[in-house]
Amino acid sequence: MRRELERVEIPGEHEARTRARAVVLVAFSEREPTPHRRSRRPVAALAAAVVVVAGLLSPPGRAVLGELRAAVGVERAQPALFSLPAPGRLLVSSDSGAWIVDPDGSKRLLGDYREASWSPFGRFVVAARRNELAALEPDGGVRWTVSRQDVRSPRWTGSPADTRIAYVDRLGLRVVAGDGRRDRLLAPAEGGALAWRPGPGFELAYVSASEVRLQDVETGGVRWRANAGRLPAARALSWSADGSRLLVVLSDRLLLLDGRGRELARRTVHGILTAALSPDGGRVALARRTEIVLLDDRLRGPRRVFAGGGRLEGLTWSQDGRWVLTGWPAADQWVFVRVTRGEPRIVAVSNVSAQFRSGTFPRVEGWCCAG
Amino acid sequence: MAGGRDERAWVHGAQRGSASDLEALFRLHWPRAFRAAFLVVHDSAAAEDIAQESFLAAVRALDRFDRRRPFGPWLHRIVVNRAIDWSRARQLRGETELLNIVAAPLEPDPLDGSLLASLAALPPEHRAVIVLRHLLEYTPGEIAELLGLPRGTVNSRLRRGLDSLKEHV
Repeated sequence: MRRELERVEIPGEHEARTRARAVVLVAFSEREPTPHRRSRRPVAALAAAVVVVAGLLSPPGRAVLGELRAAVGVERAQPALFSLPAPGRLLVSSDSGAWIVDPDGSKRLLGDYREASWSPFGRFVVAARRNELAALEPDGGVRWTVSRQDVRSPRWTGSPADTRIAYVDRLGLRVVAGDGRRDRLLAPAEGGALAWRPGPGFELAYVSASEVRLQDVETGGVRWRANAGRLPAARALSWSADGSRLLVVLSDRLLLLDGRGRELARRTVHGILTAALSPDGGRVALARRTEIVLLDDRLRGPRRVFAGGGRLEGLTWSQDGRWVLTGWPAADQWVFVRVTRGEPRIVAVSNVSAQFRSGTFPRVEGWCCAG
Repeated sequence: MAGGRDERAWVHGAQRGSASDLEALFRLHWPRAFRAAFLVVHDSAAAEDIAQESFLAAVRALDRFDRRRPFGPWLHRIVVNRAIDWSRARQLRGETELLNIVAAPLEPDPLDGSLLASLAALPPEHRAVIVLRHLLEYTPGEIAELLGLPRGTVNSRLRRGLDSLKEHV
């Protein structure tokens, strides 16, 4: 019997061991072997500290920690954001307002806005104050504003010639043209997750009670409804860049729909924080409790690429699909994880809140187009 | 397999901060912890989570561990109880049905009429007892202590389990 039980083949056994070993050793490096537990510190910094200690220890000790660094890819956390590891610019919201971060790490405060998102091609930014929606130049110059109550969740889409902005106010889901005109209520009382479908036309996917709808905002027609009556409210929606796939992120599962709202795959996952499709639609990055996991385009083949020592916050793909960025509030770090083939590489940046003059942990709103 | 003295030395070393000793404990115990979790939950991703979380729990509690006692039973208790909890929770949510009906299999289906298929037909509590007895080789008395069950319950679950698995025994 024992031989039979030991002969059972377990998919991914070796990979699971490698991942778990790295995570366990990192956790061990964080541990304080004294009765008085000190405050939790960033894994990267602690791993680095342990490496220093290991230098005083035996060669086997050094080997273990060397392997640990190789397995997890942890590097010493940078004390500041000196540069971005991939092309493009970040849009960030903090207590002090909305910021743009250039590839060289330089930051520009756009103004006292609490949410923001990029326009197509990163030419403008749409930002929200409590009672105002504003279209901004990347230098912070205001193009136009619309006053509405309790504005949030602005999202901009379109071509260089014609654009639309969707947002939520006290009355529901609204749409306004990119020049600030023709503002109107699209869906009264709706205020859940929303995402424009990339491509021609102005089609908006949004969460309504227990379903996901795709609506043509020009005609008002609902293209399709998915999973009516069967799903709890979704947390996030994420389209592939070609608009052929939509990822629906629920608290306990992921659904992958095709462009017509038909289900391609689903996967139950515990502890989902958020998830996003890669720009090419070929992978899904999933933030789950304290880790980042990659799935393939059928939501299979989970691969853990990062595990931290505390809850993670947010998940943003670089436009080239080579990196994902997550926040690690307990460590006050941003963690950039390279997710190309092979071992993941991690670049951590410390002191994030102070760099954005924020009392709370800054939120990455988007990683957009170079230029 | 390392002797008890080695294991005690590794626990002691790990308590004093030795990463290489902790590594030795991981190397010794991971394969069976992961396998035990898998044989109870029949989901490799969940088994990885369970075994990993169990090791992390062990790391967190390392300072309080009495190193005169063996490390394995301490870890196995955590693993098996978590695996049972996970399986119960999945049954309550009916995830198995959802996954089978709606999604393509997440990985090659191991339930192919083999020992695993027979094991899967048992309730998770029974699977756990079988795994503790026949993979991890605890006595019924030790299993009763590990799971906090009356010994008679352990024996009856073992009997029922073996009846179901007899063609593979």
